[in-house]
Amino acid sequence: MELAIRRDSPLMRLILDPVNILLMILLGILFYLVLWPFLELVLHTITWGDSDRRLSRDAVPGEYTWFHWLEVTASPLSERMLYAPLVNTLITGVISTVIALVVGGGLAWCVIRSDMPGKGWLQPVLTLPYIVPSFAIALAWETVFRSPKVGGQPGLYETVLGIPPPEWVSYGTFPISITLAMHYFPFAYLLVAGALMTIDSQMEEGALLSGASRMMILRRITFPVVAPAFAAAFVLTFGKTIGQFALPFLLGAPTQFHTIATMVYANLALGLDSMAYVLAILLILMSLLAIWASNKFVGNNARRFETISGKGFRSRQVALGGWRWPIFWGVATFGFVVGVLPLILLGYQSLMLIDGFFNLSNLTMHFWTGQSDPEIAMGEPGVLHNANILGAAWNTIELAFFSAVIASLVGLIIAYIVVRKDSNPLARMLDQIAFIPFLFPSIAFGAMYLTMFAEARGPIPALYGTFTLLVLISVVNRLPYSVKTGVTAVTQIGRELEEAAEVAGASWGRRFRKIIVPLASSGVVTGMMVSFVGVMRELSLIILLITPSTRVLMTVGFNYAEEGLTQLSNALVLIVAMITIAGELILWWAGKSKLVRLREKNS
Amino acid sequence: MASIEIENLTKRYGAMTALDNVSLKIESGEFLVLLGPSGCGKTTLLRCLAGLETPDEGEIYMDGELVFSSKLKRIVPPGKRNLGMVFQSYALWPHMTVRDNVKFGLDVLNLSESESKDRLDQVLKDLGMSDLQNRYPSELSGGQQQRVALARLLATKPPVFLMDEPLSNLDARLRMDMRVELKKFQAFTGSTTVYVTHDQTEAMTMSTRVVVMRDGQIQQVSPPSQLYKRPENTFVADFIGMPRINLIQANQSDGKNHLYSNGDIDIDIGWDEAPSSIVVGARPEDLKISKKELKGSQTYEVSSVLPNGPETIIQLTKGGTILLARIGHEIDVHEGEKVTVQFDQKALNVYDAKSGALLGPPIDTDRTN
Repeated sequence: MELAIRRDSPLMRLILDPVNILLMILLGILFYLVLWPFLELVLHTITWGDSDRRLSRDAVPGEYTWFHWLEVTASPLSERMLYAPLVNTLITGVISTVIALVVGGGLAWCVIRSDMPGKGWLQPVLTLPYIVPSFAIALAWETVFRSPKVGGQPGLYETVLGIPPPEWVSYGTFPISITLAMHYFPFAYLLVAGALMTIDSQMEEGALLSGASRMMILRRITFPVVAPAFAAAFVLTFGKTIGQFALPFLLGAPTQFHTIATMVYANLALGLDSMAYVLAILLILMSLLAIWASNKFVGNNARRFETISGKGFRSRQVALGGWRWPIFWGVATFGFVVGVLPLILLGYQSLMLIDGFFNLSNLTMHFWTGQSDPEIAMGEPGVLHNANILGAAWNTIELAFFSAVIASLVGLIIAYIVVRKDSNPLARMLDQIAFIPFLFPSIAFGAMYLTMFAEARGPIPALYGTFTLLVLISVVNRLPYSVKTGVTAVTQIGRELEEAAEVAGASWGRRFRKIIVPLASSGVVTGMMVSFVGVMRELSLIILLITPSTRVLMTVGFNYAEEGLTQLSNALVLIVAMITIAGELILWWAGKSKLVRLREKNS
Repeated sequence: MASIEIENLTKRYGAMTALDNVSLKIESGEFLVLLGPSGCGKTTLLRCLAGLETPDEGEIYMDGELVFSSKLKRIVPPGKRNLGMVFQSYALWPHMTVRDNVKFGLDVLNLSESESKDRLDQVLKDLGMSDLQNRYPSELSGGQQQRVALARLLATKPPVFLMDEPLSNLDARLRMDMRVELKKFQAFTGSTTVYVTHDQTEAMTMSTRVVVMRDGQIQQVSPPSQLYKRPENTFVADFIGMPRINLIQANQSDGKNHLYSNGDIDIDIGWDEAPSSIVVGARPEDLKISKKELKGSQTYEVSSVLPNGPETIIQLTKGGTILLARIGHEIDVHEGEKVTVQFDQKALNVYDAKSGALLGPPIDTDRTN
């Protein structure tokens, strides 16, 4: 009578394999958390909502409509809502990316391929601007170039020179492009440096022996070989700049200068949700288009750019000769101006009783340690006494901790499945879905989760306003990175190590816990720290999902900045910056000691 | 074709001395191999010849012309030294086709269009790469990549070839084939070749002379056969030869000045002029094994037998002394068996116990001839 399916039949073994079960579960979860929200976002834009009644008499909630798309793309509003911000996004994105690449690429060459002195400590200084929250740089820019014509107190520039800076220096395309470039050049630097490190200098020496001049070698050998890395760095940096929200908002909104990202926020603030979502979708499409174009370029040429690896790799440094010290001083000064000076400015500004008066009698610790005083800053007490801020600090740490731990563990499991089941098409699919969040500009990703979790659906309650939702989006946002870290770690663990345990009779769970986790731990813990710091300074991703009870330091800082309480905002951003810098320092030291250990093992 | 002269070359990296006062004369048309363990300075020496490293002291002449002098501050740049180099990683340019890789050096020479094309086609044909000329390096096998590197070298017809472990990226079988090919290649072009390797078989089979280096110093410069027969110090004796040479530290036995002993075994070196404390070097094939008692022989126990095709290596034990011997098929021994051993006096080398320098063969074949 019974349908006799034996437990050890091939089919049942495939189904009962714990790794396959896990694979299916993870596919389901990721489908729900990555793809479904995107569909939800799209659906939202082509459906009449309740609030649309005040926009159009034709609105029938629940019916399909192109109204929102037409309003955004082809109506009297389009110019202000879409086209001007689109142009602004493209212009600031391209300018800042080009600057970031030129500066980052040049620095990468100096650090990796030349004998410039002081590399050891210049490298961490040069990555500072990327470590600190992006709008710290915007706040520092404001501190110097604020223009009272737009409102508020004069900045350092006007105080020192006596004349206000031109408005184009204070707000709009110029400062946004420059500050974006300042924030993202370390990102480009890291990408290009990675590529430069893989260049075998014997390729250049070969050309040198043929009698080629240095220019010819640079033009015909070095540059073509790093070109694909440059193209990829361009697209990745560009993709990041267009998703930036806080920085263009602070330096653009005062003069009605908008990018697509700030327009998403502005529309949501006005209750024009569907319009905001249309813009978010357009932002995602821009990002996809850029990635697609770069893949097409690199993909077509990928094979030829593969450098041949093998024994005898040699990376030799170019002697700068007489330029050694001038270049060092140039780079060190630059590092100070973009990495250290903004933080000093923020710190100084947070000590000023009345904003904009740069003399010593105006200095106070009030915004750090002062009690509530109705005369100052609307009665907000100093950041170290402020119950709101302490709550936000606790939230921040909790959020960063949980997100980092969960993202790393899930990332490791996904990585394990991807590496060990590489012939299974479902595993490859899992890999690809886990990468997709990388393509979503952060503010658009936030918008997706806003539509997805605003109300209860089936067994899933309305998560909007809960801490859980923040953890969820932070984890999913970190997944592309943590899977990558995990893949590197798991790949290094030979299959034999696990097979030895399997032969000894260990179950999969036991093998994963006793073999994979311990061996992958150093890489995964590093990844965890990176995620911790990354989540901590995140703003664009969660700004749309924050409610007063779930506020974190970055959003409180942003709100203070919006309200013009710059000292408090600066103090908060400075605190976050210090925590993230401390985190990076720990990572840097850990990395160093690990290198030492590896070296000892080799000898 | 060109000769190369290296005089008192020294190169330091911080506190480390990579080349320590090296002098060497390389004849025109020679195939000279620089051999030594890793870190001995052989690659540094090659790169100094190429001009890719700048030595701290010394002179280099190529074809009689001074290309480097620390005193005169003369440094001829690599591109002007008229040489070609094959790198360990081949250093093929990944973004250029095979043809463009080979053509690069010709472009620099500013040849006429037709001459450049003719030479290119000829070189590609010589190396059997004509069919593959439009491929990219990543689409080639290791052996083919190697050939592109050679084609690139050959195209500009340099009188000096420098090769930095060119075969180390190939698998064992291909390496064997490429050795033969490289040797032919060199004979065909007649170019002076300096070749770096840490593989002694490669050095012995290909070279006209071998330079053994250690810690930045030259240990010995000899034709390969001489290197094997008469290593000039215990380092070279120990470094050359597989299985390794038996080095026996021994003292003069009382009264008889050609009899030496290490406590376990006695050796008659048949030479009266050696000092009282020496090291005797005996290659495994210089031990005559017999199951019979021979005059002047001693009894050993066979502790291990390792057959290896045409030959068998056996390990012999007597007291605390372990020796290796190489035997053919004429004698059949088993583990645990007792055999007698006789040293071939003519093949022995005697070294000073302190300095490790060769004192002389007991019976100098060079002298008696």
